[in-house]
Amino acid sequence: MALDRSAGRLARCIRCTRHERTLPIRTFTTTAPSRLETQETQASSEPPPPPAGATTDAPKPRLRDPNTVSTRAAEQQLIQHQRITPVGSRRRRAAIASTSNIPFSELPYQCFQEARAVLQADRKQKLEHIRVQRERIERFKAKDVAPQDEAHKEKKVADMRRRLEEQKILADINDPVVKRKFEDGEGDLNKPIYRLLADRQWRSYRRTLLLQRITQMNVVPDVLPAIDPVVSTALSFAGKRVQHGDFVDSRMSELAPSLQIQPYDKGKRLYTVVVVNPDVPNVQKDAFDYRCHFLASNIEISPTDTRVRLGLLGEEGQVILPWLPAYGQKGAPYQRMSMFVLEQAKSEGGGEFQTIDVAAVKAGGKYTQRHGFNLRSFVDKHLLKPVGVDLFRTKWDEGTAGVMQRAGIVGWDVEFKRKRVEPLPYKRMDSVRYR
Amino acid sequence: MNAPSMALLRAFSPVWRAESLPWVARGCQWQQKAPFSSTEQRMAKKGRGEKKDMRITLIRYHLQHPLTPRPLRFSRNRALRHWTIHRAWRLYQTQLRLNRQLELERQYNSMAAACEALRLTDNHGLTAEDRMKLGGGGGAGDEAAAAGAEGREMGRLYRIAMLKDGVWEGAPIEYARIQTESPPREGWNHAWTR
Repeated sequence: MALDRSAGRLARCIRCTRHERTLPIRTFTTTAPSRLETQETQASSEPPPPPAGATTDAPKPRLRDPNTVSTRAAEQQLIQHQRITPVGSRRRRAAIASTSNIPFSELPYQCFQEARAVLQADRKQKLEHIRVQRERIERFKAKDVAPQDEAHKEKKVADMRRRLEEQKILADINDPVVKRKFEDGEGDLNKPIYRLLADRQWRSYRRTLLLQRITQMNVVPDVLPAIDPVVSTALSFAGKRVQHGDFVDSRMSELAPSLQIQPYDKGKRLYTVVVVNPDVPNVQKDAFDYRCHFLASNIEISPTDTRVRLGLLGEEGQVILPWLPAYGQKGAPYQRMSMFVLEQAKSEGGGEFQTIDVAAVKAGGKYTQRHGFNLRSFVDKHLLKPVGVDLFRTKWDEGTAGVMQRAGIVGWDVEFKRKRVEPLPYKRMDSVRYR
Repeated sequence: MNAPSMALLRAFSPVWRAESLPWVARGCQWQQKAPFSSTEQRMAKKGRGEKKDMRITLIRYHLQHPLTPRPLRFSRNRALRHWTIHRAWRLYQTQLRLNRQLELERQYNSMAAACEALRLTDNHGLTAEDRMKLGGGGGAGDEAAAAGAEGREMGRLYRIAMLKDGVWEGAPIEYARIQTESPPREGWNHAWTR
């Protein structure tokens, strides 16, 4: 009692003066009060018993929610009957009570709504620009030009198209709903704005990481001279994601993986996927060779259709070399398995992607030899353009022997050992020249 | 009538002294219960504690300085609203800047057009075309004489407008040199004489 009395003045200072001594002091808590919990559990099962102080013949008080009571009488009831203090300010509680189902874009915050009006006006203007630009492109394309100016016209049309794409992105980039959808992963990659946002996100970290891995492990000068990845790749063996450059158990990589190839520009395109191991030990020449573990062409990819199961591709039209399990023999250093995504050449007009004649490649025989496969030669021959890369590593583990036996690969019982380096004469201990 | 307060009695009288200490003094009971120190001995010695990295000290100083604003921690909706308002503000500022720039450009073009018009008019306010239209019926000798006079009079207003006399009348003389970002290639023209 005495403490209450002594704290009275302090409490009056802390408390909001609007409440006029009706509400006790509320201290900051992050958890719900225990009374609230019991009240909620009771509310779900049975109506609550009347509080101890109330008489039994009084009418049952209505249950109040401390988050939404906003009138003074309701607050009084809540405090008296349920012994719960209302949460936050009355204004906030009134807002919560009336705005629970309002969509985000209609939230009644004045500055927010003003800002949305500004953005909407700008978007309207951008849409008008887009319409005008489209008409302009149509008109320009319909115009007849002299044959020597055809190239110029083509270039100008391409420029106008690029400007149109920029306008499309600018129309949507300021929309909070777009941002929210993208953050939730619900973006539609058929739309340019979501493709742009996804591309930005990829480039902000994951692409840098990928480039670091492939340059640190020297995939790039070893297998192909250079690469500028523009599609992101994600590798998974039997549903398990593998980070770029991670070691994969040989039993996991026994079956062909599935590869997710995500392009960030519109349209369908044809890709060739090739898996090359540049670390096959060659004892005769005391060096390393290439080996192709997988080669398939004519894989159609679009921004929304990204999954490629390497084991389920068509035998006739696509696969040139089927999947060979990744293995590294005992004692050999780890082996890099580099996967390249190569874009196939476009036809003369620049519209359609050319298919690679798989039967002809198989008949040619040069690129059906796994051992000594030269990816640079293959890329040059078919005018391919490297657009994506991925990497995993393999080394000898307890399952490798079984994997090799099942795949019918000879040499599962071979163990590599380091050659003993004879010390030079003047370093031999029993030599006369030893010092 | 209120009962008299016991507070004073409680504070001073040994009869009313409470069993427990007031809460502010509770810490005094607990001091030095452990027979050993929980920190290193050299840390207790004066001036020989572990040396903190200067960067850590500085970071802590600036993070905990009362002038450092608290970090913005928003809920998702709040953050999105904040972002929306920010983007709208940036957009508005961009539009303002572009409008100003366009206005300046318009003014410049209009001044250039006015000067061009001045350059092409004579002291009667007529251009060569106007003169051709008006005086098409004049004699050949008159035309040649008029052409000489015109040559002198043509663009006279323009030449006057381009005079730079007295443009620095009200401004300090330091501003008469064009303000550049880098010094001139030759610092001083030694060959110059009046």
